[in-house]
Amino acid sequence: MKNNNLSLGDRFAEISVFIITAIALLIGWNLKSNVENRAYLFEANGISVQAPDGWRQIQTSGDEAFHSAELSSDGFGTTYIVRNIPIPADASAGGIASLLTLERGQKMTAFRVLDQREVNVNDKIAYELSYVFVESNPDLTHASAPKVVYGVDYIYINGNQAVVVTYWAEEGKYEIDLDRFHRFLQSVKF
Amino acid sequence: MPKSSKKSTAPQGRAHVWRDEFILILSLIVFTGVIYALSDTLSPMLQGPVLVWAGVLLALVPAFIWLAFFYMQDRAEPEPKSYVFGIFILGCLLAAAVGTPLIDSIFRVSKWMYADSITTLLAGILVIGFTQEYLKYAAVRFSVYHSDEFNEATDGIVYATAAGLGYATVLNMQFVISNGGVDLGAGVIRMAVVALAHASFAGIVGYFLGRAKFESEPIWWMPLGVTIAAVMNGTFNWLRGQVVQTGVNLTGASTNPWLGLVLAAFVALITMGVLVWLMRRDAGVKHEK
Repeated sequence: MKNNNLSLGDRFAEISVFIITAIALLIGWNLKSNVENRAYLFEANGISVQAPDGWRQIQTSGDEAFHSAELSSDGFGTTYIVRNIPIPADASAGGIASLLTLERGQKMTAFRVLDQREVNVNDKIAYELSYVFVESNPDLTHASAPKVVYGVDYIYINGNQAVVVTYWAEEGKYEIDLDRFHRFLQSVKF
Repeated sequence: MPKSSKKSTAPQGRAHVWRDEFILILSLIVFTGVIYALSDTLSPMLQGPVLVWAGVLLALVPAFIWLAFFYMQDRAEPEPKSYVFGIFILGCLLAAAVGTPLIDSIFRVSKWMYADSITTLLAGILVIGFTQEYLKYAAVRFSVYHSDEFNEATDGIVYATAAGLGYATVLNMQFVISNGGVDLGAGVIRMAVVALAHASFAGIVGYFLGRAKFESEPIWWMPLGVTIAAVMNGTFNWLRGQVVQTGVNLTGASTNPWLGLVLAAFVALITMGVLVWLMRRDAGVKHEK
């Protein structure tokens, strides 16, 4: 194809189309952030969180104070859980992490701990436990391969209770959704 | 702004372009009806890879129909077939390499755009509409636009339609593959809707491109064209969502995809009518001068 030299007008026209598209996408990104960050105040069982709007509220069981999962038609729905676990007075966060590891190892398929360390979250000391497991959907009609799920627990000692904030997300979505989870984590009050 | 080597617009010289567009709309409706009737009557038991391949073949049909009619009728001043086919392929490549990753993986629109009706409309225009229409514009503007073969205003519509059909073909193929095949009846309706819609919005971009090349248009001309196409794109998808959903029952929302095809055919015919009128008006104004 033979290309003629571009006139200044042609060049400006090209740039202006690019700019208008970029502006539209920037506004679109802002809209995305706005929708994804919509939250409502959830208060129960001694905790309060800014829960993601539009997620499925799951019936809590046992020591769970909050359990919510993103609606997902394709694969594993990103999940946030907050638990209030009664503990002995001398229990340490590291000890709770060991108990959780044992518990998850028994319940979850192919559970592996990836990392554990003490961290500072929002001026509070927490114990961070990162792990991976394979989703085991009990629904036999679920016609897709099991998903590899990455998870992290943040364990806080609060008197005679351990508050455990959990994040589970499918392998490919874990890093992408991490910022949103951090905002949720910062909203947890107990 | 003045431009060099301008030539006159001559819509009459490309009368078959409008015929091709009309035949595309008509053929797609007939083809959809035939496949739907066959699927309904014969109920073919396709499974696995055969079902996927059947879907992929269906996805290619709209582009094939248009390209075939274009090939047969473009005799008066033939547009290089390799250029038209090349733009079609470029539309496919841009959709697969840029459009889909940007919309699905970076913006992840399916996760948030259905939060409420206004968000669906805005995301459809700002993210999906602008991305898709810019890429169709880019497929023409950064390839054949500056060549000597782009020598009539209607060439903009021809090449942009080829890019739009390329984009639609990839979207349809991705839909088939990601679902492991489609029900032939419902699938063929969806493919016809996507092809008609993308060809129509690309036609708008093409009209603005044609005028931009052969008239002294202001700097806002081309952004206006892409914006109109993007707004129509987003509004159409929003409206289709409203129209095809006929109710909610115990198994979920019930839909009537035929209403989507009626809407797409209506939009395509109206768009074509407006473009014919605009081109004739432009030619008349030029003739008076």
